[in-house]
Amino acid sequence: MLKRHFREFSVLGVLLSVLALLGVFAPDFFAPQPLLSRLTAAAPKLVVACGIAMVIISRQIDISVGSLFAVCSVVCGLVAAAKMPLPLAIASAIAAGAIGGALNGALVAGLRLPSIVVTLATMVTLREGLRLAQQGVFIDLPDGLQWIGLPMIGGQYLVCGIALTVLAAMAAVMRHLAIGRAVYAVGSDAEAARLAGIRPRLITFVVFVLMGALTGLAAVMNVVQSPQVDPNTGRMLELEAIAAAVVGGVAVSGGRGNLGGVLVGFLLLACITPALTYIGVKPYWDKAIQGAVILLAVVADGLRNRKNGR
Amino acid sequence: MDLSPKTRMLLRHETVLLAVLLAELIFFGVAGRNFGTPDNLANIVRHSVEIGLLALVMMPVVLAGGIDLSVGSTVGLCAVLFGKLWRDGGLPWEVAAVATLGIGATAGGVNALLITALRLPPLIVTLGTYSLFRGLAEAITHGTDAFTRFPPSFLFLGTGRIAGIPAQAWIFMLVAAAMWLLVHRTTFGRSWRAIGFAPEGARYAGLPVGRRLAFAHMLAGIVAALAAITYTARFGTAKADAGTGYELAAITAVVLGGTSIFGGIGSVHGTLLGVAAIAVLGNGLSRVPATMSSAGELSGLLTGVLLVLALAGGAVPKWFAERRSRKARAPVPP
Repeated sequence: MLKRHFREFSVLGVLLSVLALLGVFAPDFFAPQPLLSRLTAAAPKLVVACGIAMVIISRQIDISVGSLFAVCSVVCGLVAAAKMPLPLAIASAIAAGAIGGALNGALVAGLRLPSIVVTLATMVTLREGLRLAQQGVFIDLPDGLQWIGLPMIGGQYLVCGIALTVLAAMAAVMRHLAIGRAVYAVGSDAEAARLAGIRPRLITFVVFVLMGALTGLAAVMNVVQSPQVDPNTGRMLELEAIAAAVVGGVAVSGGRGNLGGVLVGFLLLACITPALTYIGVKPYWDKAIQGAVILLAVVADGLRNRKNGR
Repeated sequence: MDLSPKTRMLLRHETVLLAVLLAELIFFGVAGRNFGTPDNLANIVRHSVEIGLLALVMMPVVLAGGIDLSVGSTVGLCAVLFGKLWRDGGLPWEVAAVATLGIGATAGGVNALLITALRLPPLIVTLGTYSLFRGLAEAITHGTDAFTRFPPSFLFLGTGRIAGIPAQAWIFMLVAAAMWLLVHRTTFGRSWRAIGFAPEGARYAGLPVGRRLAFAHMLAGIVAALAAITYTARFGTAKADAGTGYELAAITAVVLGGTSIFGGIGSVHGTLLGVAAIAVLGNGLSRVPATMSSAGELSGLLTGVLLVLALAGGAVPKWFAERRSRKARAPVPP
């Protein structure tokens, strides 16, 4: 167990030492209220990171999730602002995400185009299309929508609970169900998977649709946290999600990684910024540190692969 | 398919793109206000130099089967460090500019080292440096500081004209000519094509694959630094957000220009046409009364759609050919 998941456990070790340092030098960090708020604000990111991990395991990439996230947020906001019932608003956001994901999937799996360029194109198209349609105007949400009408603490527990449920469900599917194993098989070697009777293109398509639907769900989880919808939301989301997956041990060469690692990577990245703030590093170092952590994780993987003679 | 050489020439990517460009020019010439004036044409050139420079060096990277998402961030980092060297370091701007080129080479060198020495995928490496370089630029300027009041001799580079042509256009033409010669007329440049076509094959043929890839990435860094200098000279300020999103524009121009994202196929003149098509579209939309107010969003949207169409345009015939051959060959022997 320890040997097989050495990569995940080493990140867990780093995470625990960061938490221990925080506990010694900044015990305020663990005060329940700011901690819960911080986790709630980051919860949508975890849902997207779960989807991204699945996409990367299938040896693809999706950098359009940030733009799609904004589109789904606006769809959810518009439907809710039109006095439609709440479940309809939620369903339409998830459906919008699934449609966006299906578009990516059709281009990648159907036409065999590389996912990096396809999602680059949809990233720009969706973002600019949204800017054109919405002109940057915020949408005011009706009263009942914030925290789905619950008191704030209840809403925060609900959002965090949904994120953890998604993570657990994804982990179970990827580990125990045939379709999850098929994603690993396609990511390791699509041709071998095909000869074994799996349909790689169908799997790829399904992965992208699911990625879109998860993005829609994440958008809803974000929308309910504030009284307005910001149409410029979701910038850099793709990067943060990819960072969480890669730091958590998901290999960009496909076929390797698990959802437990994603959770650890996500928590580590979420803790690093406040940890550095507590020891006096200014917030404008955020992006540089984010990049350095990604590079550190891939370099560690590269060195290990080289040692193992692969 | 049996096509005469003449038909094939007409169907070539570059020819189709040239037709698109001409159609754009004619359309905006008729529908746009003051589109065809020499001043506006000079304006188009002036505004597309940075993206053009990045596209020119992105092209060999993509041709060799890689990608570089960090060039836009390199522009930001180099612009900020150039300002820092000039204002706080007290260097004359010429010296600072040369040092900036060195910084660009270093930034490209970091990518090159990680990609070739550790054999890491270029996509994830340059995604990391995309964040790192932009983050360093923000950290150096504390996110808000901007360098201004550059001397007129420097600003001439971004706003002046030499022989009636914008000053930075001369730099661009020089780089374009050099890149064309390098890619199309030297064995060195041809090796990128070979590597992109079949990396293993290139290795067996005795090409130093790692060194050639490293060179492409360092070249991208150096020219990104050059773009940072012309960018700063054009705006008169160096800020951490210089060149945001330029990597996307450059990749779009390269792919639109017919370079295969899988590597092995592509041309420098195609890339130039791709840059021109995007630049004319953006400027033209801001000259047509109906689209004037939202030209930025619209040109971004159309660029994205164009990119999808260019990709799909290349893939659909292949898809049909594949289906046909699968039908012809079925059942497949084990």
